[in-house]
This record gives sequence, C-alpha cells and structure tokens, in this order.
Amino acid sequence: MNPIIRKELHLHMRMRRGWWLLGLYLFALCGTVTLVYYNSAMNARRGNPVGAVVGTNVFHTVVLTQLVVLLFLAPVFSAGSLTIEKEQRTLAGLLTSLLSPFEIWWGKYAASLLYLGLLLFSSLPILSVAVVLGGIGPLEVLAAFGVTALLLASICSIGLYFSSFFRRSVHSTALTYGLLLATHILSFVAFAFLEPSLAEAGFSWKKMPLLLNTFSCMMSVLGIEDFGWKWIWLASLLSFAALGVTASLLASRNLRRSEG
Amino acid sequence: MIEVRGVHKSYGNTKALDGFSLVAEGGDLVGLVGPNGAGKTTLIKILATLVRADAGEIRVAGLDVGHEPSAVRQMTGYLPEVAGIYQEMRVAEFLGFFADAFHLRGTRKKEAVDAALAASGLVPLRARYVEELSLGQKQRLLLAKTTLHSPKVLLLDEPTTGLDPMARLQFRQELRSWQSRDKVILISSHILSDLEEVCTQVVFIADGRNPAKLEPSSDPGKGPQLFCDLEVISDPRAAKQFAESFPGTRAVEARGAQLVVAVDGGKEAAAALLSHLIQSGVKLVRFDPRAQTLEELYRDTFGGSRS
Repeated sequence: MNPIIRKELHLHMRMRRGWWLLGLYLFALCGTVTLVYYNSAMNARRGNPVGAVVGTNVFHTVVLTQLVVLLFLAPVFSAGSLTIEKEQRTLAGLLTSLLSPFEIWWGKYAASLLYLGLLLFSSLPILSVAVVLGGIGPLEVLAAFGVTALLLASICSIGLYFSSFFRRSVHSTALTYGLLLATHILSFVAFAFLEPSLAEAGFSWKKMPLLLNTFSCMMSVLGIEDFGWKWIWLASLLSFAALGVTASLLASRNLRRSEG
Repeated sequence: MIEVRGVHKSYGNTKALDGFSLVAEGGDLVGLVGPNGAGKTTLIKILATLVRADAGEIRVAGLDVGHEPSAVRQMTGYLPEVAGIYQEMRVAEFLGFFADAFHLRGTRKKEAVDAALAASGLVPLRARYVEELSLGQKQRLLLAKTTLHSPKVLLLDEPTTGLDPMARLQFRQELRSWQSRDKVILISSHILSDLEEVCTQVVFIADGRNPAKLEPSSDPGKGPQLFCDLEVISDPRAAKQFAESFPGTRAVEARGAQLVVAVDGGKEAAAALLSHLIQSGVKLVRFDPRAQTLEELYRDTFGGSRS
C-alpha cells in the first residue's frame, strides 16, 4: 500500500476533526430526510399521493444535499494536501525518498478521495430509507453513488492540481472554491439566458455550459430534468473526467518540476 | 564519492553557482562554509536531486545526479536547512513511514527502524508523539530518518541551527559515528567551531565559486604561519605596534589587553617574536602560539577583521 495513503488516513482518523465531520455530515443528511419526509407527509394529508412519491422525494433531496456537502468538502481535503507539505516543509523529504512524483500525487489523491468515499458510503443507511419507502430501486442508488464518486474524483483532481501549483493552502483552496462557484454560477446564468432554446430536443452548443455543472449532471442521472438531451449526463461526466485527467497530469508535472 | 566539477546554476539573472567544484571520498566529513547567499543550499539541493544544475559534472557514488536521480536518492540522505516533521505522528511511526518511502519492507523495515531508534537514543520515546519532543530530540529524529536507508552520502544543511550546546555535542558524536562507517558527510553550517571540531576538510564557497580551501586540523609546529594569542598588562597599543614592527608579523585582532598576531615562519619565528616583545618592554602574561582557527581563516577569506 502506498505509504502516503496510510499516513493520511491514519492522521485524518486520529484527529477529532475526522469524527466530528463524519457526525455532522450524517446529522445534516438525517435532518434533510426528516424535513422532506415531514413535508411529503403533510402534502399527503392534503390529498397528494404518498408512498413511491415520498420515497423518490427523499432520495432526490438526499442525493442532491449530499452532493452539495461533498462538493463543499472536496477542496478542503484535496486543495490543501500538497500545500500543507510545502507549508510544513515536509515535501522535500518526500521528493528525496524513493517515492516517484506519481506515487506522491496518487497517495494524496487517493487519501482525499477515500475520506470523501467514507462520508459517501456512510450515508448508505440513510438512503436506504428512500428504498424502503418505495419508488427507488437499488440500481438508482448505485447510479447516484457512482456519479457522485466520479464528480468528486474530478473535483479532487482539480484541487490537487492547484495544491501542486501554489505554495499556500489558502490560495489553492480559495481558487478551487472559486472555480467551482464560477462554473456553477456561470452555467446557471447561461441556463437562465438560454432557457427557451434548452427546450430544443437533442444536442445544442447552447447546452455546453451545463456540461460543467455537477447539479445538471446529477439531475439528469436522477431523471429530474434532462434539458432536452437524454445523453447530457454522459457528456457531462466525460467532460469532468477529461478535466480530472488533465488536472492530474498537470499536477504530476508540477511535482516533477519541484523535484528537479 | 562526491564529485562536483564546474557546476553552474542560475535563478533568472542571479547566479547561485558559478563553476564551483568539490571532491570528497569515503570517510570524509566535509564542511561547506560561506556567507549567506554563497550557494551552499543550492549545491546541497542539487546533490539531493531537488534542483537540476544548468551545467557541470555532478556525481554521487559514481552516479550522475541529473540522469540517475532515483539511484542517487537511494545513496543519499538529505537533511534540509529547515526540515519539516509530521508533528501528529508517533516517533516509531514517523520512521516507519519513511522506511516505507525508501521501499524497506518486512524485517528490513523493522530492523532499520529499530537501528535508527537505537542510534539516535530515541528508543524510550518511540511511542511518543513527535510534537512532544524537544528541539534536540526532533533533530535527532530527523537525522535518524535521514540515515534510515543506510545511505553512503549524507547531505546536511545547517543541521545544528537552534540546538543547545548539549544537543550539538550529541549531534557531533553521531556525525563521528557515521564518519567511522566510511560514509561521506557534506555539512553546511555557520557554527564554525562545530565544523572545526569534526570536519576532515573544509571547503569555502563564495558567490558560487571556490575561493579557498583549508585543512583545519594541521599541526601548529608544521604550518608556515602561526597565530599567537597574547595578553599584556602594559599598554596594548604599544604592544601591537612592537609586534607589527617584527618582520613577517601582523596583528589580526585586538580586544583590550588581548591581541592575536600572525607570524610567518613557524615556531622559530614565534620564539623570536616573544624575545622581541620582551626586549621591547612589553609585559606579557600569556603568549600562546597555535594554528589559525577556521573563524580567522573565514575572516581572512571573506573580510570582517575585528581589530
């Protein structure tokens, strides 16, 4: 096992922060489920349908809330992972060991992703509530988990690139958040301007901004909205994958440069 | 084991190294001395494969640093000027992490960690968190980490900065222990007394070049120039004038009633100078001929006389 992965996970779980974060995360998701369930039950009393619709509502809300929280946490774990080594002046020790720049990158990347993966999988019992209520099958749960994991993998890779580029965590973290906010806000602005043309069926270049919006991708996967193009989720995932791979190559190159 | 010939390195328009050369063999403990910005850290970083030289021939244990960096890392242990440390780890865990990073596995890893703990005297502290250690203990831990994979060459950049006298003494003992195992140790430090005590060779560096070279442990009886510590109870200014009037003699330092004078010609010349001073009426309470110290040579080379 890559020693950096082991070190990072040990240190994460040894600190109180690791457990507090996990607790808060699950608390937030439980709160969301309770609110949605309560709201759906109130609607049911007014004569609206229950059962499958309540389950679907709970599932969609929890998946989207989970995505927001994890997108908020991803830069914390990824964008600071290499800069902290620079700030603590421990990067030279890693670069002069027998670990290759790729192994260092991979260790940091996998460690940040594994912790987010722990958060993601810890929410499985909460999501299973939606399955019990009905309207949602295991395949949909699997699809939501897979897409969330892929989106996080891409965001972590971008965060790690900024971490390899900057010397201070505050700069790399701020820029990762800035990029995430900018792409989401810009794509929503574009969505508002281009809304009439989004009704057009099939692919259109006007739908391109939505490819870099994690919510449009997830909404398409969940079947909430397909923006007139049923493959938009796949195009979006491929765009994020391309970004992630490019960011990882650039981060490895930056580490090689620090090395020599 | 270390061969550096005509190395050049520039950062933009600033020349950090400008044709510097250095050769050291097994068992050598080489002190690298020079003012701030002379190029010491850049040279050590090049040897540690952290910085790539622009030109020149650089070999460690016969390996080309530019072309075989991974093999060079296997042969070298590098302790940076400001070495970071994982404060949240336990002592043995910290060493275990770097044993993994140097691809030591199974019993080799356990043996290496145990040996490093024993050599650094940190066995009783193996379960402590690093943040609980004193500065001296942390420095010993860092040296243990640097030597964990039994490198043939040790590159130490200002390793004794901030250490108390006892910790520096322990550090010097560890260096001697490593030197006795036929390792090459290149150490950069501003604490010249430390270097003078342990180094077999001192190499000066200024503006990225070689200005001078010294063997600090030379016998006072053999050297052509001796330095005499004088203490007078008569007028020190007059004593200085009388001393400088003697052929081949110059005053190096004057502090109150104490003088340091350099005299050419070894012990015979020193004896003649002593007679000359007594005959001139200088009242001496101390006259102590010795070899030039590293600090005096440093001042000679880089300026800054205190007289």
